Amino acid sequence: MKRLIQLHVNGQTHDLVVHPARTLLDVLRDQLGLTGAKRGCGLGACGACTVLLDGRPAAACLTLAVEAADQEVLTIEGLAEGGALHPVQEAFVESGAVQCGFCTPGMVLSAKTLLDRCPDPKPEEIREALAGNVCRCTGYVKIIEAVSIAARRMREAASGN
Amino acid sequence: MSEFAVVGKPLPRVDAREKVTGAASYAGDIRLPGMLCGRILRSPHPHARIVSVDTSRAEKLKGVYAVLTGRDMAGLRVAFVDTPKYPADEPPFALDRVRYIGDEVAAVAAVDDATAAEALSLIRVEYEELPAVFSAADALKPGAPLVHEFDYPGKSIWEDWGARGRPQSDPVPRKDNIAARTFVEFGDLAKGFAEAYHTRADTYEVAPVAHAPLEPHAALAYWDASGKLNMHVASMGIFYKRFVLAKALGLSISQVRILKSYVGGAFGGKIDVFPYEIGAALLARKAGRPVRIELSREESLATTRMDFHATVHVKTGVRRDGTITAQDIRVTVDTGAYRGTGPVVVFLCYSYNIPVYRVPAQRYEGLAVYTNNPIKGPKRGHGAPFIRFAVDSHMDMIAQELGIDTVELMLRNARDRGEVMPTSGDVLHSCGLKDAITAAARDGDWTAKRRKSNWNVPERFKRGVGISACSMFSGSPYYPFGSAAVVKMHDDGGATVFAGTVEMGQGSETTLSQIAAEELGVPLNDIRMISGDTELTPIEFGSFLSGGAFVTGKAVKLAAADAKRQLLEMASRLLEVDVADLEARDKVVRVKGVPRHGLGYAEIIAASVKQANADPIIGKGHHKSVPAAELHPSLSTAKGRWTEAYGFAAQLAEVEVDTWTGKVRVLRLVTYHDCGFALNPQIVEGQIEGCVSMALGQTLQERVDLREGQMFNPDFIHYRMPLTLDTPEMVSGMIHSDEPQGPFGAKEVGEGAVSGVMAAVANAVYDAVGVRVTRLPITPARILGKLSRAEAASR
Repeated sequence: MKRLIQLHVNGQTHDLVVHPARTLLDVLRDQLGLTGAKRGCGLGACGACTVLLDGRPAAACLTLAVEAADQEVLTIEGLAEGGALHPVQEAFVESGAVQCGFCTPGMVLSAKTLLDRCPDPKPEEIREALAGNVCRCTGYVKIIEAVSIAARRMREAASGN
Repeated sequence: MSEFAVVGKPLPRVDAREKVTGAASYAGDIRLPGMLCGRILRSPHPHARIVSVDTSRAEKLKGVYAVLTGRDMAGLRVAFVDTPKYPADEPPFALDRVRYIGDEVAAVAAVDDATAAEALSLIRVEYEELPAVFSAADALKPGAPLVHEFDYPGKSIWEDWGARGRPQSDPVPRKDNIAARTFVEFGDLAKGFAEAYHTRADTYEVAPVAHAPLEPHAALAYWDASGKLNMHVASMGIFYKRFVLAKALGLSISQVRILKSYVGGAFGGKIDVFPYEIGAALLARKAGRPVRIELSREESLATTRMDFHATVHVKTGVRRDGTITAQDIRVTVDTGAYRGTGPVVVFLCYSYNIPVYRVPAQRYEGLAVYTNNPIKGPKRGHGAPFIRFAVDSHMDMIAQELGIDTVELMLRNARDRGEVMPTSGDVLHSCGLKDAITAAARDGDWTAKRRKSNWNVPERFKRGVGISACSMFSGSPYYPFGSAAVVKMHDDGGATVFAGTVEMGQGSETTLSQIAAEELGVPLNDIRMISGDTELTPIEFGSFLSGGAFVTGKAVKLAAADAKRQLLEMASRLLEVDVADLEARDKVVRVKGVPRHGLGYAEIIAASVKQANADPIIGKGHHKSVPAAELHPSLSTAKGRWTEAYGFAAQLAEVEVDTWTGKVRVLRLVTYHDCGFALNPQIVEGQIEGCVSMALGQTLQERVDLREGQMFNPDFIHYRMPLTLDTPEMVSGMIHSDEPQGPFGAKEVGEGAVSGVMAAVANAVYDAVGVRVTRLPITPARILGKLSRAEAASR
């Protein structure tokens, strides 16, 4: 039996008819056309489908769409505001932290969450925070660098205010 | 390097903004109106005869638009290797026999995934199980079950290109499971071993590993009103895919179009033309609707391609000073149920080994053996990781026995610029191998850290260093043999580059844009790139033989030079100055020595349109991968030109071994890669770091767990790839050997730095604790086993 739910995604509210067994990832990709969250493993083991639910990272492939109703869903498509990249996105671009790009949306959102709660992370904390996001291309070196750079810039911007 | 404005600089990638915002589109991201979901029914048996397939109930299910089986393509066989000697052997969908768990039997297209899954469950297949064989050793035994009872020689896919065709003939009965054999012999082997002061023989074994790109395999197909097949695929070379798809489907080449998608990592695993791609095309034709087949992670891991299980025997004779006098190598690989790239890998184990050390006399035999395991294919390095693991582990032991420092032993045998490779005749026009070894030893503190661990002291943690070197080619003669490119000038003096490269993470769109910008004399942000589309771009070599930058880069450079020549000629007419006295940079043509006397590109183009019959200025360039090569080298004898340039790398590992738990922690991994010239140092570093990470996975933890043909870890929980927490400190340096044949001196970089890691780590483990691990992966259990045996022996 399908259900009527409201999903709040990237600041916009969608009235959707979904089967309760459908995952948030299915609904984002197939019903809303938001394909930034990727299906890498379907088991919550690779982090490619990471989205933020009320600011906390979640594997969209393990979250039922009906569970996400009434929460604020942020996908990678909603991160850049008014066309301006988020500092994490900017640092990923500049540092060479992107190769094939398939892990990038999840990686960027996991990094953003870390910096929201921990503005000055040590390298070990960055490694820990990103340990649920698999990247097969970069060897992680430039990703970890990018997160450090973004953290510094965000701190500088915050102290300048 | 300072004379360059754009190349040689660590500029941000041109595709990065699309990728950090989620805008980048991959094959599985595309949605078309009326698109159906395709699914594949696979064999649950490793070896069985198909008695019957009944699809009638599936066809009647509401929401099912098309069903196909082997009957829809009877007689069709497709393979990466399809030559008169090794005829194609894989029916995309089984007709009468399945040969591994996962072999394709039927496919359906339905309105959604759930309906497609239900339809599969309604297909009835009656099997009669056959005896199966699961290792190369067993498959070589007399009386072993034959995986293939016949070869089917016939028309080779290469006939149009002059490959010696064979007339259509009856199937030829097979006597054994040998899928391919390479045999090479040169020099006087007996004399070489007789002259040797010391001889050693070892055996090494490498477990199969998975490519595991984050993007699962996917294909989307639709036929347009003109009868043309359009596809988005997860590929590494769109023109190769187009060629094989057209041949397989009986279409002319221009009736197939591959459209652009980004590819979410490939590492060799996405070059073959797969049954799911042929299936998507045929289902779309039957259904009259677009069909997408997205493989699950399990299907991607267990039924596409994986790396080989390999055994390497190596015997080497050396003089007192460590100079090699003779080497005898035997490689045996399990190639799986179909040939895959078995014939190529046994050729490559010879070809990637020979450029490293000077060997005056060699015998090499490589065997690829059929089994009822999943099919094997090229994975980053394609044989180089296991041959280099074996030979450099072995050389480390020889150094130890001779009492010579391993770095010294390597330097005494390492090849130099100008040397000619036996059998292929390839010349090392550039060779930074010795520089790489020296630099890696220096940055890895070799002298200070080597042989510092006392094996007999019962400390828990012990440290050691190890080193290894490797080589890799830069493109090879293989379809389509070369690349072409077009550079189209715009009214404002910017340009669009048309090049058929596939951006799969390697950064080709960026490096090719940099090459065009540099040659043309415009800033990078004035270059637009059209890539990855067989209709919109000229033919392109592909990104699967480490030839992307080397071959296509040269074509792009020539195309940009052609456009620049036209700009200069027009400017020469306008300025009434000889072309030789002009220079073009920063979008201005200037008279040399008269900086203020010049014309902007936009002005020159406007003048060309007005005065030269509207010529908008379009440059074209083309380049063959190996200009002197006829078709391709002989895989069975390794004769024939093979590549224009070799990249080299030396890698040093520093490890800490926990003698209580057997766990090996890599503390530091130093790589020096001779890439000729780094077109974009940030991208080169990224390639090296990615190679190192993937190689460490293979060295320490990754293994496809195959038991009687069944993969037991076909998911990302049980197939464990390196995570952020496993990342050691990396030093990734470059040697600029300035390859004369390469664009701005560049050669390969994407694969080379994967193959020195295994022996570097194994040698470092030996240095730390005095035990020699001869099998990959180096697991804690193996270390502990070796340590306890060593302890028992010393008591």
